[in-house]
Order: sequence, then C-alpha cells, then structure tokens
Amino acid sequence: MKLMKLFRRRSIHMNIAIAFSCLIVCTTAILTFSSYRLSSNAVTSSSIQKTSQLVQQVKLNIQTYIGNMESIASLVISSRDLMRYVEATQAERDADESMKRGASQYLRSVVESREDIASILYVNKDGDFVSDQSHAVMKSRSEWMQQDWYRLALVSSQEVVSPSHVQHIFEDQYRWVVSISRKLPASGRSQEGVLLVDLNYNVINDLCRQIELGQRGYVFIVSPSGDLVYHPQQQLIHSELKSEQMQTVLDMESGSIKLGKADESKIYTVATTSFGWKIVAVTYPDELIENKHQMQTSAVLWGVICLIVALTLSIILSYALTKPLKNLEMHMKKAERGNFDIRVDIEGTHEIGKLARTFNLMISRIKELMNQIVEEQEMKRRSELKALQSQIQPHFLYNTLDSIIWMAESGKVDDVVEMTTALSRLLRLSINKGEELVPVSVELDHILSYLTIQSRRYRRKFTYSIDVDEHILDAPILKLVMQPIVENAIYHGIKPKPDQGHIQINGWKENDSIVLTITDDGEGMDPEKLRTILMDKPRASGGSGVGVANVNQRIQLYFGHDYGLHYESEREEGTVVTLRIPFIQVEVKGNEEIGQMDAG
Amino acid sequence: MRKLAKWTLVSLLLVSLTIAGWSGYWAMSQSLHSKKPLIIYIPKTVDPTIEFWVVLQQGVMTAAKEFGADIKIMGTQTELDVDGQIRMLEEAVASKPDAIMLAASDYIKLVPAAKKVVESGIPLIMVDSDVQGDLSRSFIATDNYEAGRTSAGLLKEHVEPDEKIAIVSYIQGTGTSLDREKGVRDELEASGYHNILTTIFSEGQVQKSYELTRDLLLKQPDVRGIVALNEPSTVGAGKAILNLGLQTKVSLIGFDNSNSEIRLIDRDVIQATVIQRPFNMGYLAVKTAVSVTKGQKVDKMLDTGSKVITKYNMYTNENQKLLFPFEDELPSK
Repeated sequence: MKLMKLFRRRSIHMNIAIAFSCLIVCTTAILTFSSYRLSSNAVTSSSIQKTSQLVQQVKLNIQTYIGNMESIASLVISSRDLMRYVEATQAERDADESMKRGASQYLRSVVESREDIASILYVNKDGDFVSDQSHAVMKSRSEWMQQDWYRLALVSSQEVVSPSHVQHIFEDQYRWVVSISRKLPASGRSQEGVLLVDLNYNVINDLCRQIELGQRGYVFIVSPSGDLVYHPQQQLIHSELKSEQMQTVLDMESGSIKLGKADESKIYTVATTSFGWKIVAVTYPDELIENKHQMQTSAVLWGVICLIVALTLSIILSYALTKPLKNLEMHMKKAERGNFDIRVDIEGTHEIGKLARTFNLMISRIKELMNQIVEEQEMKRRSELKALQSQIQPHFLYNTLDSIIWMAESGKVDDVVEMTTALSRLLRLSINKGEELVPVSVELDHILSYLTIQSRRYRRKFTYSIDVDEHILDAPILKLVMQPIVENAIYHGIKPKPDQGHIQINGWKENDSIVLTITDDGEGMDPEKLRTILMDKPRASGGSGVGVANVNQRIQLYFGHDYGLHYESEREEGTVVTLRIPFIQVEVKGNEEIGQMDAG
Repeated sequence: MRKLAKWTLVSLLLVSLTIAGWSGYWAMSQSLHSKKPLIIYIPKTVDPTIEFWVVLQQGVMTAAKEFGADIKIMGTQTELDVDGQIRMLEEAVASKPDAIMLAASDYIKLVPAAKKVVESGIPLIMVDSDVQGDLSRSFIATDNYEAGRTSAGLLKEHVEPDEKIAIVSYIQGTGTSLDREKGVRDELEASGYHNILTTIFSEGQVQKSYELTRDLLLKQPDVRGIVALNEPSTVGAGKAILNLGLQTKVSLIGFDNSNSEIRLIDRDVIQATVIQRPFNMGYLAVKTAVSVTKGQKVDKMLDTGSKVITKYNMYTNENQKLLFPFEDELPSK
C-alpha cells in the first residue's frame, strides 16, 4: 500500500525510471553475485587440483629418491669388500686389520660419490662395526642399540625409513639425517647385523622448501608414527605456537580436506608414499580469497558500469515513453486556457497516439459547438431586431394614415394620392422579402418616400434634397437604417425650429467604404445629448421608439465596429450624421456570405 | 528537449567512465601497494656466533613472512656496546618506522632513548631484555626470574646445601642477568644453600668465562656447583671444568644451548641447561608488533617459557629441533 502511495505521488516519468532502476539493480546484483560465485568456485577447485598434482609429484620424487637409496644399499651389501668383513669371524677381524680398512674404504668411496649420502654404517650384534668414517669415535654400544634405526631394523624384514632426526652415533657429530636401515640376517658364518645409510636431510629439505603454494602455503612430510619428517615451520610446531591436524592427516590415504574455522581454515592435500610417509600440502583458502578480492573488485566494477549504463538507458527510455504524454498535457493546458485552434501531432498507433487523436477530435467538436453557439446567439439578436423593425410599421402607419385621413377630409386629393403612393412604396420596401440587405438605391427610394410623407404631414415645414454618387447605388446596405436618422432630424431638429428647415442627404464612396451623410439645419443638440445619443437606452422622449442607437448597433453587428454612425452637432446650427458602411461588390448576394465576412 | 536528453546521456557516460577509471585505479593501487608495516628490530648484538640471537632472528623472519611485515635489523657487534645501541635506537626513531622491537643491552642506560621512542609515538616492543620503567607496549621474554629458580632447582639435585656454589653471570646491568641471578639466589637460599660466592661476570665471552671460572676453581677447589647464566658463560665454565678434569666433582647448570654446550652435555660436564625459546620470542615479538600497528590490543607481558634439557631428553623428537638447528640455517662459524 505504501509502495502504491509512493508511486502515486511522482510523475510517470519518475515512476518508470524508478521501476526500471529497481529491476536493473536487482538483476545486476544477482548476476554479479552469481558470476562471482561461479568463478570463485572454479578458482578454488582448480587450485585444489593443482595442489594435489603437486603433492603427487613430490611423492613420486621422494619415492624415487628413497628407492635409489635402497638400491645403493643393496649394491653396498652385495659388494665383495663388505661381504668379506661381514662374513668374517671375530677372530679373523681382529687378526686382519686390512679387512676392516678395505670395507671402510669401499664405503667411503660410495659416500664420496654421492653428495646426498651422509654416512654408511654396518654394525653387527656383537658391536663390531665398519663405517665410511675411519676417524670418528662411535658412542658406546648401549647408547646406539636403543636408537630407532637399529631397533626397528632388527624386527622388520624390510628397509626401515626413519623420520628426520639428529644422528648421534659418533661423538661430536650432530647431523640431521634421514636413515634407511636394513637387517642383514645371519647366514652361514655371518652374524645378524644392520646396514645403515644416512641421507643428508638437506635433500628432503631442498625438495620441499622450493615448493611454493601461494604466499603462505607449504608442504610437510610426516612419518606413519606421527613424527614430522619435514616441516618448514618445525620450530613453531615444536614450540606449540602452531599445530597441524596430525590425526586427521594420518587417517587419510590421499585426497583433500578443509579444516579449521572460517578465518583460519587450511586445506590439507595428502598423498602417501609406498613406505608410509605422508606428503601433505597445506594451502590457505584466504589466499584464494585474495584472488577472490580481485574478482570481487572486477565483478563490482562491471556491475557498477552496467548499472550506470542501464540507468542512463532507463532514464532516456522513460523520457521517450512519457514525452508524447507531456506533449499532450501541454496541449491540454492550452485548451484549458481557451485556445481551441490546436492540434496535437502525435503519430503512431500506440495508446498515446490514440489518445491524441481522440483529443483532437474532441477539441474540434468543442470548437464546432462553440461556433454554433455564437451563431445561434447572433441569430437570436437578429430576430430580436427584426421584431423591433416590424414595430416601426404600425406606429408610422397610424400617423401617416391619420394624415391621409386628414387630407382626404380637407379634399386635397393630389396630396392624398402622393401620400398614399409614397406610403405604399414605403411598405413594399419594408416588406421586401424579409431580406436585411438592400441596394443603396432601394434604401434611398425608401427614404425619399418617407421624406415625402413627412413633408406632407408637416405641411412643408422643411425641404429636402438627396445627392448620392451613382457608383454606390447598387452596393448593399442594411435596410431601414436611414429612416430613424431622418425621423430624428425631423422630430428633434426641424420641428422645434420656428422657420423652415432643410434636410440634405449626400452619399459617396470613400476608399472601401460608403459614406452617407444626413444633414439638417435644425435646433442641433447640446453636448450632453450628443454624447448619449448613440448609447443603447430606451428613449424617454417620443419618436418611433426605435432609436438611432439601434441603427448604430445593427450596423456594427453586421459590419463590425469600424462602421456605424457618427454625430456632429451644434446648438442653433444643426446636426450632421455620418453613416459609414463597407463598400461591398454587387455580385455579393445574400446574408450568409456577408455574415461570414463579418466574422472573419 | 532532445538536446537535453543527449547531454544527459553524455554527462552520465562521462560520470560512469570517471567512476570506472577511479575504482580501477583504486583497486590497482590497493593490490600493488598493500602497505606492509616496517618494523625495526634492534637485538643486543648481530654477532653471528651467538646462537641465541641467530635463532631469535629466524623467529623474527618467519613471523615477518607470515604476518606480512618488513623487518630492518640494526645491531651492534657486541652485547657490551650499550652506547652503540642507544645511538641505533635514536637513528631508528628518526627513520619513523611503524614499530620498534628492542632487546635492551642495559636495563638503566637505555631508558632515555626508549622514552624518546614512546614520545615520538612509535610503538615499542621489548624482546628478551626490558628497560626500567613501564615503557613498552608489550614485553616478550622468558620469565627470567622463574628460569633462574629452575636452574637453581636443578643444581640442588647435584649439590648438598652446605657445599660452595658459584654463579657466572654475563653483563652487569642487563635486565635478564639481574632477574636470573635473583631467581638463582632466592631459590637456593630458600632451600638452605647459603654458601654462594660473589657473582663473576663473563661479559658474554667464552674466553673470559673460561679464564674466570678456571681461576675460581683453582683458588677455591671446594666449589661443587656452578650456575652459568647464559650460553658463552656456560660454555666457558664447562671448558674450564673439562680442562681441570673436574667433571665428576663439579656440577654445572647452564643456560641456553649451542653445539658446544651439547658436546659438554654429551660428555657429562653440563648436567642440565635451561633453554629459552628464542625462536618463539622473535616470532611472537613480530606478531605482537604487527598487531599493535593494526591497532589491536596486545598482552602487556608474554612469557615464552623455558625448558630443561639434560642428557636424557636431548634426542627426543620434540627437543631435537630446539637444540640442533639445521646447518644451513646458521651462518658457518
């Protein structure tokens, strides 16, 4: 739920980016971790394999080496010089010094030929001995009889290989050796005895010390009895600063085992020689981990790089996805502010494209409806005006008929005829198929009829003249626009004037306009009246009830605010009304087109 | 808008490249310059004939390899050169190592120089021989007083309480000799041995020890027991006894070990020797020093222990390696 809230707050762009990032982080982390795991396992197993190969190699080397020594021992035994000494009796030996010297010389020649042999010694049960060292003093019999090389050889039928030890048979000699001893059974005249070959310990030492297993790994050799034959850190083992898992190693024939706690664990790899020594390689998994550290670093590095690239892509992708949405949003804002002339250009068949098309459709529909409303409103106003226009007729008709009656009663037949003719023309023009626009000539006809009637009614209180440029006679004009102006001029200009007045109507084309002036020399108006004359107010003072304000409004409604009426007037001097409408070519027909032009 | 996206992409790529490069550099420098602490080790002497210091150094080197430390050894030719050691300690301070391991050749005279080490903020680890006052972070040595008592205990097996006993010490004023001598005297006196002669000093030289012991034995033929407090003293005293043919009459308890001492044990001149574990000392000193440089807590005092060697246990597997170093590990004499 909280998660959903989190997503609701932000923009889609943000949400997509966040969602992508989460996915990418998760997958990158999992991939990095698993690839690291795989490769680290591979490193571990290959290193174990390498170690066990190495241990096998060491085992073979040592086995071959000890084998060589054994064959040397066999060679020595079968030599004539030694055999003579061995087979001689005590008495013979004492008698013949050269027997021992010969054997000793032979042994010395063997030892000198091989650097790795420390000494060769033959000793029999009686304590008679011969060795390569002619001058060395042998310790007392009781001492060496207790030593392992002698004791164990007597009870064994095979060669005995001792662990490394300090050979202390001779006085003042403390050499580290590995002893190979072998029982020579009593045969014929000879006593039971033991042949000892001491190998320089350095040989084993050199063999093992060269081996490097990483930074800290090493190889050690342990005898079947658990004594160390070789250990690079023998001091530490004997000082109890360190210990090896000896029992585990002794129980193993071969193979690898991981021992110890996580931090200090070691891997023991064991191989056993034919004579029982166990070659043990010790490696530290930590060192592999050092390698692992590198792998970790590179894994993390690549992970980070992938992450950054992927995040960049996700931001760009989310931007690309949400861009049309933003575009749409921007257009919607415009529409909100009332601009319906917009179109969203989003291509494509995807959802947002569909949405955009629907939006476009909606906007154009709204625009259509708006236009319709405007038009309907205008129609309404026009019909109202038409209604007003139709009010003219009865009022005027009543007055005129009243005048005609009055003329007829006083027997002025000519006047009656003239009045009636003018009235009939007036009516005909007024009816005029209900069209709003009429040619200027028709309007002028109409105003002439009107002036005729009015001048009759007011008994020639005023004169009038009409002078209009014939170019404009065919141009259309709103009908019945001049009558209220003229009516005004008569009622408010001429009528209050004591003497006879004159109404002058002029018309001409000025640029693209038609200008018609209605000039009277009546009372004129005060500035206050002049200011309010065109204001759309119900007129208190008499008249036809249709004010010039209405005329002005009609003209402006039809032709725009550039057109309409203009009053100039001065007290006692008269009034000039200027009527301005656009000049429209004659071909133009009908209301609709004029209306459209107006709107444009 | 498209331009903005393009710039974002470019700048992100630049940032990622920078990060990648930086972390690569960091990883490389980490693997190449994984810094090893530099430890200066100042033994009492670098004399290659004194096995004790040679083996101690082996311990130092073994530990240095194992725990990852660089060791620089500075030492005088003889244990007597106290001024030389003071000078070297001052040099060592000037070179600003991560730690200094010192075996003080004088308990008192080294104090000012040791104080300088502490004041300069370098951790001081004392090995084998301490200085007066509690200056070091850790002191790694044999419990010499206890070793002295052990040696006295061994002598008691061979000498009766009323018989004359001599003590051959080495250098007057060094911490180890003072402790050992005190241990010997305390143990003997506690068991009713009161006939103990004034201590003679061999100055750590076999020849001097031989001469002094020989003179003593000639002047006082009724001496029945001798405790010699270090290796050259023991060998010198043993040679004197052997030379005078007194091995059946005079019992000798020695300290430390060497081939010469072993020969004398084999010939029954030396009845027993108390050996220290110099290898352990060196090893543990480096281990401690490395721990200190890593800011870990270390023990104030580490007793590396001592061991009694007699003719009867010297060839056991356990003792062989302690007593007989491999030839190639020691410089040829």
